[in-house]
Amino acid sequence: MRQRSRMELVLLACTATAWIGAAGVARSQPAQTATAPAQNAANHHELPASIQLGHEDTLRRLAILMKRKGPVGVAASKAAAEYKQHLSREVEYILPPLTLLPELAEGKITPDMAWAMAMTDRTKATREEIFEERARMTDALNGIVAAALPVHDNEAIAFAQDMAADVLVDTELEEPTVLLIGEYLHSKLDAAH
Amino acid sequence: MQLHRSIVTLAWLLAAACGAVLPVLISPAAAAGDPAAGKQVFETACSICHSAQQGRNSIGPSLFGVVGRQSAAVAGYTYSPPFKALGVTWDEATLDKYLAGPRAMVPGTKMTYAGLKDDPKRANLIAYLATLK
Repeated sequence: MRQRSRMELVLLACTATAWIGAAGVARSQPAQTATAPAQNAANHHELPASIQLGHEDTLRRLAILMKRKGPVGVAASKAAAEYKQHLSREVEYILPPLTLLPELAEGKITPDMAWAMAMTDRTKATREEIFEERARMTDALNGIVAAALPVHDNEAIAFAQDMAADVLVDTELEEPTVLLIGEYLHSKLDAAH
Repeated sequence: MQLHRSIVTLAWLLAAACGAVLPVLISPAAAAGDPAAGKQVFETACSICHSAQQGRNSIGPSLFGVVGRQSAAVAGYTYSPPFKALGVTWDEATLDKYLAGPRAMVPGTKMTYAGLKDDPKRANLIAYLATLK
């Protein structure tokens, strides 16, 4: 989860759309179990820089709100805990496959992209957990709004609303894009073997 | 005597008619709910994504006039495919079912809300939503 610019969202959507068009119909693949082994430090993969920047911005804004005295600070601390939990999952396996999008959109696919398949399969297998995490995150953001309204803390309200919109982006665009990347990689790389 | 019997009969008929119609108009959930308490539930659980104002869509569609409305019917809001296919009228019963477990009723909904499991709070919320018109 992170804060995105409108242009970035449009680019993400366009890239995914172009890529889908190039891919044609990808084969369905069985999902791995939720207990699929996690990527370890040795094969850690990066995130798209734009997403990394968004994460940093979110953490910065949360840190400011957490310093508020009273209910807003308490609510922000709770939201921060939920966010960091979800962030670790995103960094571990949900988001790294997105780094492949620019090349895939260019029609380039190589066997060394196979690392992403375990991550996309894991994302597919843990969709319910991911949803529940996002739901808890949204609840926590609602908590910020409920705490901020009586004291007219517009900065806190704006932050929570931005974040809630970002949760929707994750649900509508990010996760489906990751799953499509997985389907595409399987259709091309599995067939090559 | 005849007049008295007629009045009694009429009163019986009226009472029977009210008894039959009222449960349809006001479900137990809404009838038992407290709109004022429901407003608080709305503010703490829904307001970050939903407006109570007419025509003001946000992350989710405006909930103004939701009771009695067809699902996926708010102009200007892009619903998910499962919601477009839902085809229900939002009344107390359908709202109660949906709010208790959104993903159970509409698998694939993009509403990131796990559900309001507390029956009285749900009844209060529905009672509040019924006032938004």
